Amino acid sequence: MLERRLYFHIDWALLLAILALCGLGVAMIYSTTGDPTRDVSRLHITQLYAIVLGLIAMVVTLSLDYRTFTDKSHLIYVGVLALLLYVMFFGAVQMGARRWIALGGFNLQPSEFAKIGVALVLAKFFGENRGTPAWSDLAIGGALTLVPLALIAKEPDLGTAVTLLPVFAAVAFLAGMRMRVLGVFVVCMLLAAPVAWKFGLRDYQRSRISTFLDPSQDAKGAGYQQIQARITVGSGGLAGKGFRHGTQGQLRFLPVAHNDFIFSVLAEEQGFAGVLVALGLYLFVILRALEAARLAKDRLGSYLVLGVLASFTFQVVYNITMSAGLAPVKGLTLPLMSYGGSSMIATLAGFGLILNVRMRRFTN
Amino acid sequence: MALAEDRRTVAIRLSVLQYLIALVFSVLAVSFWVLQVAQHETYAELAENNNQRTLALRAPRGVVFDRNGGVLVENRHSYSISILREHTKDLNRTVQLLASLLGFEERGVREIVDRHRREPAYRPIMIVQDATLQQVAAVTARRLELPDVVIEQVPTRQYHDTMAAHLFGYVGEVNDAQIASADGLKSGDVVGQSGIEKVYNNLLMGEDGAKIVVVNSVGREIRTLDEDPASEGQRLRLTIDEDVQKALEDGFKWSGFNGAAVILDPRNGEVLAFASVPAYDPNAFASGIDKTTWAALNTDELRPLQDRAIQGRYSPGSTFKMAVATAALEEGIITPDFKVFCPGSATFFGRPFQCWKKGGHGTIDLRHAIEQSCNVYFYTLGNMVGIDRIHKWATLLGLGEKSGIDLPNEVQGLVPSPEWKKARTGEKWYAGETISVSIGQGQVSVTPVSMAVYISTIANGGTRVTPHFLKAVDDGSGWKDVPTPAPQSKVDFKPDTIKALHDGLYLVVNGVGTGGGSRIVGRDVSGKTGTAQVISTEGAKSARGKTDKDLRDNGWFLFFAPRDNPQIAGVVFMEHGGHGGTWAAPISKHVLETFFAKQDGKPLPPPPVKQGTPPAPAGGDDPPLVLPGRVADNSSVAGQPRP
Repeated sequence: MLERRLYFHIDWALLLAILALCGLGVAMIYSTTGDPTRDVSRLHITQLYAIVLGLIAMVVTLSLDYRTFTDKSHLIYVGVLALLLYVMFFGAVQMGARRWIALGGFNLQPSEFAKIGVALVLAKFFGENRGTPAWSDLAIGGALTLVPLALIAKEPDLGTAVTLLPVFAAVAFLAGMRMRVLGVFVVCMLLAAPVAWKFGLRDYQRSRISTFLDPSQDAKGAGYQQIQARITVGSGGLAGKGFRHGTQGQLRFLPVAHNDFIFSVLAEEQGFAGVLVALGLYLFVILRALEAARLAKDRLGSYLVLGVLASFTFQVVYNITMSAGLAPVKGLTLPLMSYGGSSMIATLAGFGLILNVRMRRFTN
Repeated sequence: MALAEDRRTVAIRLSVLQYLIALVFSVLAVSFWVLQVAQHETYAELAENNNQRTLALRAPRGVVFDRNGGVLVENRHSYSISILREHTKDLNRTVQLLASLLGFEERGVREIVDRHRREPAYRPIMIVQDATLQQVAAVTARRLELPDVVIEQVPTRQYHDTMAAHLFGYVGEVNDAQIASADGLKSGDVVGQSGIEKVYNNLLMGEDGAKIVVVNSVGREIRTLDEDPASEGQRLRLTIDEDVQKALEDGFKWSGFNGAAVILDPRNGEVLAFASVPAYDPNAFASGIDKTTWAALNTDELRPLQDRAIQGRYSPGSTFKMAVATAALEEGIITPDFKVFCPGSATFFGRPFQCWKKGGHGTIDLRHAIEQSCNVYFYTLGNMVGIDRIHKWATLLGLGEKSGIDLPNEVQGLVPSPEWKKARTGEKWYAGETISVSIGQGQVSVTPVSMAVYISTIANGGTRVTPHFLKAVDDGSGWKDVPTPAPQSKVDFKPDTIKALHDGLYLVVNGVGTGGGSRIVGRDVSGKTGTAQVISTEGAKSARGKTDKDLRDNGWFLFFAPRDNPQIAGVVFMEHGGHGGTWAAPISKHVLETFFAKQDGKPLPPPPVKQGTPPAPAGGDDPPLVLPGRVADNSSVAGQPRP
């Protein structure tokens, strides 16, 4: 359990940065959902509850040695798969997708927890295989990633599904995968792209990508959000329009501003200055976590940290790029800031593991 | 050592990731810098256009009052529904949905949109000008699906139920030609399209204001940023007297006939009452007239859109006789005591011309010839005066001329002359034609308004006043009188002429004449009836397919009162109303009674009741004229003398 000694080794700076981002998120949620023409929204309160639950989850993932988790990773992995299967058949349908399990007043989104499950199982798998991973190792690791990925993609939630890929790539990379192999992967991806375009994507997904390449071809349709995102960010200027004074987010030119486009709102209301602060915090969190991977007592710990960090980083970078209208619009949230309970809890639980690895660097 | 090597690989690769992350974040920071700092201006402008919408605040048109301050035309609030394409995602869908919500055919809505397609997207395209509450409710309920549809409260013209529709005219959306010809008009403006609304459009039209509002992405107004209120148009006070107007309209309703009437103040040309029947409902235009109503108005055989008072040309019949008398007296050809023997008919140029009274009037002087409308007397007089002088004096009295009234599209009547005939047909004038003209038949045609000027000129002794409606204007700083327009011409008639004419016209009403239906004790009403055959002016060909009623004679009554100091003069014309004494004179009486009662501050007379019962004619009988030439072309009358 948590010894007194370990308590001192908690990375308080990382935790503080995480909490700062959470706070920023709550403020932005409050700003965008407080529409003067509507009733007062309580979404920011809900988000605060989610943060508290997330911190509890973090304490749980901190308390036990991370090796306990990796030892049980196969069970966790199977549990996640079971939840994903359950969602597939019995999940609550919202906005045309079956992603949630309704738990009373709370909707659980298992795909968010799948990221941790995959990170744990891959860390364990590659941690046990010393030396450069062989082709067979990569195939097994790939399969372990692709099964939940396929289940999530089927929901459909392609955005979240894709975040599993960086987990595999990062862990495999760190495990010493040859650069040549990496090259083969890249070539395969490029070759597969047209096929995936033709068979793997749905119409709305194709149109999102094609309008990304030329948003003006459909300025009021699929390109609308992208153009609006750019206008939102661009009109923020250096200092921003002020808290709750953004016009784009406040007036709902941006859809789900408190969710996918929360960074756009930040950019609009707090300007480039606010953007720099948020970017700085995220960069600090990521580099600090990488530091944890470097300091880790064993390879298992490094892999675990990187596995958790990979999906987080991917999502942060993609969402921020999308917020500026510089990437196709995808339903990917911004971890720590976007509104969403499952995402918050899963992310904080993940950081619990990262803190776990760092603070147990001296233990045996 | 493998383990150490592993650790080194991990360390190197972690460093690679570190630099990669730092690079990615730097790129992100630069991207945001480009968007937020370098290109800020562009996006700030876009954001502003995104959420700001300029709404026009329609200015109410000026209120129109009668001479005593009674409201004739005002404004009411109505709702217009427009499409604002600026915020349209799918115009087809909007058109479809809107049409179904409004209960319109999609094609119709699409046509309106197509007509305005070229205009800037920020200018709303009005689909309904005066939406019903159901339509407003239906559209409001689907607001979220129609962010590009705006509902605005607009002032709409409200006319009281009136036969003066032609006087007020109507308003409508400005057309392209009007935009091109006038400054300051823009598409979508509502302007006067006829009547007073058109003539005084510049005064009546206010200045639209604007309101800049913040809207959200579904077009809902969040707050107002700036407001420039609309300024109402100038208020007009007309010369019309509400009560006299109503009396006139009541008279027409009572008779059930179509026709026209113009009642003037003979001293200055102020129009006290004005009617053209049948009228249309100007309110239908105010709220954006629909195609079927418009088509019905245009194809109606009775032509309700025609302003009969200024656009109808009719044969004046016996009422023309005063023009001949004026010419003879003013030219010094006769004195009022000049007598003619009427045996019931007379022969001119080898052709017999009949008087309406079979046995003849015997020996008769001018006053009594007017009183009894003796044809033979005026045949004789016309023959002595000659067509040139008849033309000259008829013109000075206002016949065959435009009155100059402040209404659009007035037409000119015709008093024939040798020059006119030469130019028109290339033939010379036959003296026989003069005989027909002398009693107002043949080619003579007049508009009711010119007849009102004619009787006013006789009443006031030679001043051809300009009929007009505008008395005063209030631009917000108080009423300012509008100067009376100058007379069209002015001749001082000899006192003898005035006396003789007035005496004769007095006798028509108060003697044994045909105008007894308008007699009012103590008011010295003077007037003249006229009965004109429809067939001789409109031509035999138009007679086909018409019923007897359509072919009945048109009736005139011209009047002024009191005889010695006329304060009111006018004309009542009844289309197919038979003899002028039957309907036109009693209607005039009701108008006069109302006028004098109001002047004396007495209770106004009740409107005549029992529609369709002609009053018993008082005074002498004047059956329809039986003329030798009951044919359309006057020249054939002269050319083919009949037995």
